[in-house]
Amino acid sequence: MSNDQRQAWFARVMESGLENDIFAPSDVLAHATPDVLASHLPAELLSRVLASSLAAGSMTPERVLETVTPELMAKHLPHEVLWQCIAAAAARAGVDKSVTS
Amino acid sequence: MHRRSRCTRGGRQVGDVVNLKAFFVTTLSSALDLGIAVPDDVLRHVTPDVLSVSLPRPLWARLLTACVGAARVDAQLVVETIGVANLCEHVPAPIIWACIEELAMRALGGVVIATPAVSSRPNASSPTAPTSRPIPIPIPLATPPPPAELRTTPSAPIAVGPSIPAPAEADDGRGRLPPSQRFRQSNTGIGRLAATGARRPQAHAAPAPAPIEPHVEAPRTAPLPRVKRGETQSDDNDSETFIGGKDEWKNVDDEQLVDWSAADETVTNGSDFGRKR
Repeated sequence: MSNDQRQAWFARVMESGLENDIFAPSDVLAHATPDVLASHLPAELLSRVLASSLAAGSMTPERVLETVTPELMAKHLPHEVLWQCIAAAAARAGVDKSVTS
Repeated sequence: MHRRSRCTRGGRQVGDVVNLKAFFVTTLSSALDLGIAVPDDVLRHVTPDVLSVSLPRPLWARLLTACVGAARVDAQLVVETIGVANLCEHVPAPIIWACIEELAMRALGGVVIATPAVSSRPNASSPTAPTSRPIPIPIPLATPPPPAELRTTPSAPIAVGPSIPAPAEADDGRGRLPPSQRFRQSNTGIGRLAATGARRPQAHAAPAPAPIEPHVEAPRTAPLPRVKRGETQSDDNDSETFIGGKDEWKNVDDEQLVDWSAADETVTNGSDFGRKR
């Protein structure tokens, strides 16, 4: 599997998780911490995040994810971080019981 | 539809509807579409035994009809006939999740990440949560350190006197952050990031300028002697130290010359060494 395929899949999974309320933007930012974002997002994207927050007067997880879309997350952030977010949501939903230890 | 379990999490109240099935359908469908998964991966978890107890009879009838009329019965036929939506609708969620989890592990290169406990929501106080503490001052890697650090950075030891502060004093006054916090956390997977081939855009390197021909240079105020091959060329380029003509160094009185063999200060061996200091 190519990196593009993996990237597209993680983007789709993240998008679906947000659409279906499997996890919220705050859940995403609990894993994609400011440390992670600052380390991996390109400068242009960090600038856009800050600019949108400055324009709105606050930086909320929802606003961050309006700029850092699932596609961009899958493109720039480590997929391990995204998977941690997905797996944590599955654990909360209880779907992993008796399957994962 | 799945309802969240009993406790309140993330500001959402008990019983919030979570469309887990739709999430599964999207995840599994996109994995099959993108080539992340093949139907065999699905049937490794959704086995015939699982289907036998979870699939409704009308769907079994459709599956049997398709299998009877097909030249070849394989996992692709089963998955396509039943449909991902029906699989996710009727097969128990832990089984679908196990399939998705296996795909993710494979996509991540076999890296197994500890899944947080069911009752623990990731937050800053949880020991299993990723580090989310704020960084005091982010230090970009591409910029030089602040001048204060440069001033207090201990240099190579030079024996100039006892007033030089000890290295411990320099260290105490210098750091806002321990060195480990100024670098990427280990759980961010930077090592694996390189393996993915994701690179930041780089500017094209400008071609090296053509070498400047010596005769193009501006003429100096005084003509310099030409240096033949084998002579020291640094003297040729050092216009600051060039004083006069080629043979002016020979115009020295004998008084100005030093008899090195008779000078006391230069004795470094022999019987007189160490007697006169």
